[in-house]
Amino acid sequence: MRSRLIRSFVLTAGVMTAAVVWSPPVAGQASKNRPTIAGCPSVSAKFHPCALARAQGFSPPRMPDGTPDLQGIWDAPLAMGFQNIEDFPGDPSPGGFGPAVSVIVDPADGKVPYFPWARTERDENIRRFIDPYAQCLPTGVPRQMANFRTRQITQSRNSISIVNEAGGHIYRVVYMDGRPHVGPTLKLWMGDSIGHWDGNTLVIETTNLNGRWWYDSMGHFASDALTVTERLTLVDADTLHYQATMDDPKVYSRPWTIVFPLERIKEKGYEQMEEACHEGDHDAAGFVLGGFQPYLGPRFPR
Amino acid sequence: MKQILFALIVIVFLPGSSYGQTTGARQTGALPRTSDGKPDLSGIWQVMNTASWDIQDHNAQKSIPAGLGVVEGNELPYTPAAAAKKKANFDSRDTADPESKCYLPGVPRATYMPFPFQIVETSAQVTILYEYAHAVRNIFMGTPHLAGQLYWWMGDSRGRWDGDTLVVDVTDFNDETWFDRAGNFHSDALHVVERYTPLDADHINYEATIEDPKVFTRPWKLSMLLNRHKEKNFRLLEYECFSF
Repeated sequence: MRSRLIRSFVLTAGVMTAAVVWSPPVAGQASKNRPTIAGCPSVSAKFHPCALARAQGFSPPRMPDGTPDLQGIWDAPLAMGFQNIEDFPGDPSPGGFGPAVSVIVDPADGKVPYFPWARTERDENIRRFIDPYAQCLPTGVPRQMANFRTRQITQSRNSISIVNEAGGHIYRVVYMDGRPHVGPTLKLWMGDSIGHWDGNTLVIETTNLNGRWWYDSMGHFASDALTVTERLTLVDADTLHYQATMDDPKVYSRPWTIVFPLERIKEKGYEQMEEACHEGDHDAAGFVLGGFQPYLGPRFPR
Repeated sequence: MKQILFALIVIVFLPGSSYGQTTGARQTGALPRTSDGKPDLSGIWQVMNTASWDIQDHNAQKSIPAGLGVVEGNELPYTPAAAAKKKANFDSRDTADPESKCYLPGVPRATYMPFPFQIVETSAQVTILYEYAHAVRNIFMGTPHLAGQLYWWMGDSRGRWDGDTLVVDVTDFNDETWFDRAGNFHSDALHVVERYTPLDADHINYEATIEDPKVFTRPWKLSMLLNRHKEKNFRLLEYECFSF
């Protein structure tokens, strides 16, 4: 446990200063170190069809009500906190992020299908604004599922909760009782999540997002018109195929889809710990001194 | 008539017999239960009181309703030095309360913040998701506290069942949270024992025993009711405190 505590502390410190000094292993390196995950290539574009094919032949463990049992604590080894969701050659400057392989499986070029103005705004975001996550603001969806360290899935009577260790206390409750979404004027950092089962796949539709967060550290963004449809499917006992499709007619010319694996933490007695982020955070002041401004959402063309 | 009156008095004041008592709350009606027979506390709950402003009896102020205290006996057994610090805290409460800076509210204050919270119960773990600041508590069932002293905002919570009561032992706090906006405070020696006793399907008697030898001369207790939200399609929203 002691080593976990030290690791937890180091990683907490790391996350809190991630955007400026921390240079963790990145997606590209992870795939070099791990050529396969669950018997599939550890690059999203190749993992996607392979893992779905494997899932066809897997009978998942089940809850007493017969639905698949996805409960557990899950790591996102390829996503690496979403430093960059697109291909990234790497930043050679000190503390810069290493190379990353795109997690986007559709479109096939691995790029977010922005309207031209929105692509320009993405570039502008990284020049002018602070990654909201670096200010300890909530990740939004789907970054919650890619975030550093782990997330715990718990299935309850009418809801499924997804609780993260990192990110300064973030969680989502997915209601499974067939209720409608909340009204359109409600805007939430983590959105309003409604789920159902499609065979062995948990499908979650999230709306009412506030458009204040980024997908990654590189300024990729959405508006408050975003709908995220996630699909979680067990590939084997310890691997989930995670898929999210983003549809935002204000920002993208078409829906687009990311895929990455989630891997079960198998260490016996593993417990998620407390991460206080905003409490005692001094990074934001440093960003402001560096000329960066808090991000308040997309700036639409007039 | 006298006999009836006497009987009523006995019912109301017999220790452990009454709904409103702070200890030994009696349960009535059928409780929802999990497959292993424990009370199922899952659901969305909220207090109906003003304890987050002041856990003791207090008069109304602008934007703050008057309230009955939730502390057994109302008085808090501060040491003389701690009583002076409480007074200083009170005088600067609007800016000095850590909650005014949007920090995690600690335990037991998270329970009586004026926001709902959701309990997610499994046999191994009871998780409490608070709408306030997305605060989370993982209550691990039947396992010991972590070795060594930690300094956590929400503490290290270990639970067990005492009959139908969920008992949670909470240690490893930092000294940076207050019990309320009125400046009632604790040190990092704080030890909280919470008792969640379901009274019926929709009410939980919540009791917390507070022990902190650096600040208080003896342990003391607070208690209140948790009420289930039964509105159709009710759900947690967000109060992302420092985003405003």
